[in-house]
Amino acid sequence: MLRRSATRSASKSKRDSRSGKGGVWYPRWFWPSFAAPGFAWLGVFFVLPFYVVLSIAFGTVDPIFRSALPVYEPWYWTGVHFSDTFAKIFGANAFFQPAILRTLLYVVAASLLCLVIGYAVAYYVARYGGRRKALLLVLLISPFWISYLMRMLAWVNLLQDQGYVNDILRFLHLISAPVPWLEGKSITVILGLVYGYIPYMILPLYAFLDRIDQSLLEAGRDLGASPVQTFLRVTLPLSKPAILAGMVIVSLPMFGDYYTNNLLSNSPKTTMFGNIIDDAVGSTGRGPEAAVLVVILMVFLIVPMIYYMRSTARSVSAE
Amino acid sequence: MATHPRERPSRLSRREFLRLSAGAAVALPTTSALLAACANPTTTATKSGAFKLARPNNPATLPLFDSNPAIKSGLQPEKNATLQIYNWDQYLWKKVAKSFCDKYNCNFQITTFNNMDEALSKIRTNQFDFDVFFPTIDVMGKLTGAKILQPLNHDYIPNLAANCWPVFQNPFYDQKWRYSVPYTVYTTGIEYRRDFIPDDVIWGMDNPYEILWDPKYKGKVGIYDDYREAISMALLKNGITDLNTSKPSEINLAKNDLIDLINKVNVRATINGAYAKLPEGEFYLHQSWSGDAAAAWFYVPHYTQKYFKTIGYWYPKDRKGAVGNDLMAIPSRAKNPVLAHLFLNYMLDFKNSMDNFSWVGYQPPQVKADPGRLTTVTSAQGEPYLFPWLADAVVRESDFKTGYEELELSPSVDNLWHNAWEEFKAGAQA
Repeated sequence: MLRRSATRSASKSKRDSRSGKGGVWYPRWFWPSFAAPGFAWLGVFFVLPFYVVLSIAFGTVDPIFRSALPVYEPWYWTGVHFSDTFAKIFGANAFFQPAILRTLLYVVAASLLCLVIGYAVAYYVARYGGRRKALLLVLLISPFWISYLMRMLAWVNLLQDQGYVNDILRFLHLISAPVPWLEGKSITVILGLVYGYIPYMILPLYAFLDRIDQSLLEAGRDLGASPVQTFLRVTLPLSKPAILAGMVIVSLPMFGDYYTNNLLSNSPKTTMFGNIIDDAVGSTGRGPEAAVLVVILMVFLIVPMIYYMRSTARSVSAE
Repeated sequence: MATHPRERPSRLSRREFLRLSAGAAVALPTTSALLAACANPTTTATKSGAFKLARPNNPATLPLFDSNPAIKSGLQPEKNATLQIYNWDQYLWKKVAKSFCDKYNCNFQITTFNNMDEALSKIRTNQFDFDVFFPTIDVMGKLTGAKILQPLNHDYIPNLAANCWPVFQNPFYDQKWRYSVPYTVYTTGIEYRRDFIPDDVIWGMDNPYEILWDPKYKGKVGIYDDYREAISMALLKNGITDLNTSKPSEINLAKNDLIDLINKVNVRATINGAYAKLPEGEFYLHQSWSGDAAAAWFYVPHYTQKYFKTIGYWYPKDRKGAVGNDLMAIPSRAKNPVLAHLFLNYMLDFKNSMDNFSWVGYQPPQVKADPGRLTTVTSAQGEPYLFPWLADAVVRESDFKTGYEELELSPSVDNLWHNAWEEFKAGAQA
C-alpha cells in the first residue's frame, strides 16, 4: 500500500512536470505531435522522392528503351552507375571536372556578389528605411513575383547586341562596340545567378538587421567607436548568422541551377553541374547517371548545411 | 515554335542489333524469359522480342503479332470522339487538324513532347490513349517489338500509294509500311546570314563544313543541341559518311572536332538557334534542318522579304549530306483507331499536307509537289513554300539515294556516341 502510494506520487510529479501553466495535463505525445505535419511533409516530398532517386541511381535501365528503371529493393541494388560516373569525375578521362570546378567558382563568385549587394540593400532598408521600409521591401521583391524563366528571358532581350544594356553603355560612352553578353560569357552567367537569387539573400539579412538592438550600436558609439568601427565590431559580428543563412539559401540552389546557363549562354564553356544533370536526364540510358550526380551533389551540399546548422545551434546556445 | 521536331536522340545500331537479333526467332521467347529471370521484381522492363537494326541494304520487316491485330476494314469512324495526337511541339498546323475534325465531326487534342526520349518514356508505359503518334524512324524497331504501335490497315490509307514518293512505298525501316506512314522529309545543312557571309564565301569553299570552325565568326556559331546531328556533322566534315558508325576512332575524331569548336568559335548548342536566333542576329552560322530554314521566316523580326533575304541555306551541291524523315503511326492503345487511320490518310492528301508544310516548314514527300516549283508556288500563307534563295532547302526524293541517314544504334554504340557528346557538353578541354 505504501509502495503503491509512493508510485502514485512519483507519477503525479511526472505529470506535473508536463502540465501547462494552468496545471492542465498533456500526454507525452501531445507536444511532439505538432511536428507531425512537418514530418509528413518531409516524408512525402523529400524522403520518398529521394528514395526514388536512390532507386534509380542504384537501379537499371530498360533493355529496349534505355529509360531508367528504379529498383526499390536495396538488396538488388547495383553500384555500376556510381563507378561509371565516378570515373568521369575522378578517372583518367575526368571530363566532368572542369564543369564541377567552374560551378564552384561561379557559385562562390555569385554568392559573394549577392552578399555584398544584398547586405548593402538590407542594411539601408533596415537602418534608413524609416516608415517606407515595407514599401521598399515590396519594391525590391516585386520583380521576383514574375517567374524566374520570364525574368531570364527578359534579360536575354536586354543583353542582346541591340539591347538596352548595350545601348545605355554606349550612351554613357563606356563602350564603343556592343558587348556580346550572350555569346557564352562566364560573367553573364554569374550576373544572371546573382540577379536570380539575390532576394533570398536580402530577406534574411533584412529580417536580422532590423532586429538588432539599437542600444548596442549606441553603446558602441558611446564608447568612442566611429560609425565604421561600430559596423565592423558590432553590426557585422551580430549579423553573422544571417550572413550564413543567406549564403546557404542562395548557394545551395545555385549548385543545381541549369536554366540560367541555358538561357544566358548555352555554351559548353559555361556548363555547370546542373547542366550535366539536365543533359543526362534528357539522354537515352543516362537516367541512372543523372540520379548518381544528384546524390553526389546532395552529399556535397550536406557539408555546408551541417556547418550552418552547427553554427546556428552554437549561437542559439550562446544566447 | 519552342522546339522543332529536331531533337533526335536515341537510336540503336546495326551490328549490335544484328547480334542481339542473331536468331530473332530464338531470341524472342528467350529475351522475355531472361528478363523475367533477371529483372528485379519491381522493375517494369519492356517485354519485347529482339529486333534488327534496319538499314537501306538490310531492310527490316517489322513483326506482326496475333495479340496486336490491325483494325478490320469497313468500320465507321468513332462518334463524338476526341482524337488524341501526340506530337512534337509546333509540328502540326492546328488549322489542318481542325479541318479534319470538321469533316469527321470530332475534336482533337494535341499533347506535345520535346524529344523522342521524352516521348518514349511516356508512351512505353502503355498507359496513355494516344490515337496518333509521330515517331522517328530510329525507334520503330523498339516500338513495334514492344507492341506499342498497332499495324495499319491499308484500306483506310489509300493516299500513301496514291501520293507519296515511291521511296516510301516500301521503306527499308518498315517494309510494306506495316506500322508507319511518312510525314515529313528534311536535310541537315548550314543556315547562314547572307549579309555577313556572302553566298560565294560558303559555296566557294572546298569543305563548307569548315566554316563553322572559322575563328572569324567566334561567338556567332551554333550547332544543334542533339548528339546525333552534331556528331554526324563533325563526321561529315572529316569525310566520314557512315553517320551510324560504331568505330571509336571515328567517334573520337568527331568529338575532338566538336571540342575544337568550343575553343575556336565558342560554339553554342541550341535547339531554336536556326529558326529563331539566327534571324534575330544572335548567330551568323547555325547547323540547320531544311525545315527550320523554311520556318525561320516566321521569326524574322520585320516580316519582310527584304529582311528575310539575309538568310541562306547551304547543303552539299552533290546532295551528299545528312537527310531524314519523320513518321506518323497509331499506338496500339488508341481509343479511336478508325479516326486515327483516317487522319493519317488526311495528312497524306496533297492539299492538306502542303497546307501543313506552309506552316511547319517541313516538306511532305508528295509526288505532286514539284521540287522545282516549291520556290515559286504560293502556299496557304500567301508566300512561296520556300523563298527562291532557299532553293537548296528543298528536299528531293533522290536525296534519299545520295544522302546519309542517321539510323538506330545498338545500346553499346549509342553509349559511345553519348559519351562523346557528354564530354563536349561538359565543356571539356582539348
